[in-house]
Amino acid sequence: MNLAGIPPGSRVRVISLYGGRELQRRLMEMGLVPGSLVEVVSNNNRGPVIIRVRGVMIALGRGMASRIIVETL
Amino acid sequence: MKRLSVGECDIVVAVAGNPNVGKSTLFNRLTGELVHVANWPGVTVARSEGRVIFDGRRICFVDLPGTYGLSSTSPEERVARDYIVSGEPDVILVLADALAPERTLYLPVQVLELTPRVIVAFNKVDAAHATGIHIHVDGFSRELRIPVIAISASTGQGLEELLRTIVEEAYQPPRREPLTINYGTLEPYIDRLVEKLKSRLSPDEPYPARWIAVKLLEGDEDVERYVEQRYGRDVVEEALRMSGEYAETYGRPPSETAISSRYSFVDSLVRRHVVRKRVEYKPSRMDEAFLKPVIGPLLSTLILFLILFIAFTVNTGFPLNLVFSYMGYEGLGEAIEKYSLSGLLGILFSMAGSATSSWLSGIAPGWLTSLIDDGIIGGVGAVLSFLPLIMIIYALLGALEDSGLAARIAMSFDSTFRRFGASGKAVFPYILSLGCNVPGVLSTRALEEREERIAVALSVPLVPCQARLVVIMAFASVLFKGGLTQALVVLSIYLLAITLALIVGKAIRALLLGKKEPPELLLEIPPIHNPSWRVVWWHTWDNSKHFLKKAGTVILVLSIVSWFLLSYGPGGAVNNPADSYAAILGRLISPLASIYGVHGDAAWKLAYAFENGFIAKEGVLDAVMLLHPQAKSISDAVRALGINVVQAYSFLVAMTLYVPCVATIAVIYSETRRASYAALTIAYMIILAIIVSAGIYWALEALL
Repeated sequence: MNLAGIPPGSRVRVISLYGGRELQRRLMEMGLVPGSLVEVVSNNNRGPVIIRVRGVMIALGRGMASRIIVETL
Repeated sequence: MKRLSVGECDIVVAVAGNPNVGKSTLFNRLTGELVHVANWPGVTVARSEGRVIFDGRRICFVDLPGTYGLSSTSPEERVARDYIVSGEPDVILVLADALAPERTLYLPVQVLELTPRVIVAFNKVDAAHATGIHIHVDGFSRELRIPVIAISASTGQGLEELLRTIVEEAYQPPRREPLTINYGTLEPYIDRLVEKLKSRLSPDEPYPARWIAVKLLEGDEDVERYVEQRYGRDVVEEALRMSGEYAETYGRPPSETAISSRYSFVDSLVRRHVVRKRVEYKPSRMDEAFLKPVIGPLLSTLILFLILFIAFTVNTGFPLNLVFSYMGYEGLGEAIEKYSLSGLLGILFSMAGSATSSWLSGIAPGWLTSLIDDGIIGGVGAVLSFLPLIMIIYALLGALEDSGLAARIAMSFDSTFRRFGASGKAVFPYILSLGCNVPGVLSTRALEEREERIAVALSVPLVPCQARLVVIMAFASVLFKGGLTQALVVLSIYLLAITLALIVGKAIRALLLGKKEPPELLLEIPPIHNPSWRVVWWHTWDNSKHFLKKAGTVILVLSIVSWFLLSYGPGGAVNNPADSYAAILGRLISPLASIYGVHGDAAWKLAYAFENGFIAKEGVLDAVMLLHPQAKSISDAVRALGINVVQAYSFLVAMTLYVPCVATIAVIYSETRRASYAALTIAYMIILAIIVSAGIYWALEALL
């Protein structure tokens, strides 16, 4: 499952990240490391996906969100 | 004693921290005396410094860019890293956010791996307390073996203790080793690399050997280059080989293990020293509204319109003066216009002009009087006439930025801008450009991706600035009858120009820069709070100063050049503008006017007006005025041109699109650092202006 397909209100855990090395690093440095708990705040299947990770709200483009593989809790 | 541009300092403190951690507020609180800032809130690429005298010692603070990490992936992170090891700062102060310790401690941990001379300050402890988060600073301090302090930059809590600790730290001999983090499965690789490095490291090597080893394994390109230069290619090759071996064995790159290990360390610290009454996160009403699909963008648009309305009205009276006039309060409308900032500045400068000319006329030759009067005072006036609008817009946008609204607005515009190959953050260059293109171009620095910065900087000059609005309004009110028609003229030109800017931006991105996909949004959304007015003022003032420096000189110099072209001809000083160099140039390009069926005198006069608009777009009106000395008002002068409605409309379209003003060109060059980009902008705008306005002319001629 990737983050772009997770409905708002769900809690998930990051399993792995795909995409360029540069992008992976940026995401991980913002706290999205494998194992991190993520709460999906808003996802309306069109605009950015908004998540909370490590106490911080982050807006992610859909392309980026779809490269984050997660499991639901 | 070390020397900063601040002057003599007893102690130099580098201030690091994530974006949104409250660095600006702290900086502002601590140092009443600001030395230099040249950036937009949120992105501090340029360096700012401030000084405070505490306990008889001069403590200088150097603000590092807000970053999440210290890798070489962005210029900001590189700047921060280089400065930390430069040997200049005596102490590194790293801010963490007490509201989000599990995320914001990542940066302090990275800094601690580089140097032990660190003080960590948890900011926003008051807000954290209120939400049930308690930070045990003593526990952190014991475990990390550095001073850890709880502060609140917005209330001033803990700042005295912070200053005292800075002084104590600065005078202690360096005694501790950098922090060592357990990198788990990566450890044997690190050990092997450290072994290889140790024998070669020069005694003045600023980076710890272990740190270099970890960064090499992580694939940090800057460190690779650095090591290759100082210690030879073979070390780097060895690291690359090990890195590949690790990835093969463990199925993940070393960088993932490294970042995960640092976060595990952060997590273990937080588990032991942060007590949290489990409070479920609930988005506020305001947040929910911004996150909704339709309401969010609507709310954002509303806020931006409000900002433009306020800024324009305070600056020139428009459009509030029209609102009052339509409602039947003509007097009130006129008063608003007269006492708007531009109105007042205009009065001031015409007074200054006539005062100096009457004072100079007795003692100085005529040409000097004219130079000072029309060239210099006129030029300074042109620079200053931009300033109120720019300050107002910077202040309002600064408030949006500091309150956390700006991130929400950028987010809700993301889907719209994606269609044009930009991210939601591009909304701010566009909004600023509606006031003036110069800050619009300058603000592209806040965009993350290089290609996006260039595409927006090169296309945003198509957005009509307020100077162009003044010209459009003057022509529309004279040559078009009826309020509705006039409004339609103005509105249609705006729509056309903004749409073209978006399309051109996308074209530049795809064709020139070869990027097919729009940039991906990655944006932290800080909690909404009341903006700190001191911080807002600070950013307003510094951005405006930056504008004056960037644009001021160019505008002034070119005002003098244009004064010369207008007042002199082949035969020396001229009384009739028709004999001037400018008129000769105008005649050279006047054949273009025949595309629009404009011939004779009006042709070169319009060409001449376009030349003048190159300096500053409102110069178009000045030129029309100047060419009709017998005209009593701008309306008379416009009428005297004798052009018809269709010609006037095509003229306005061409005037809006034809070329960025010189100040804008100057900042396109300084921001992109390529003369070819500035030249390209001029060229494509001229071509676009001719094609579009001629097309409109022919279409309207055929229809009407």
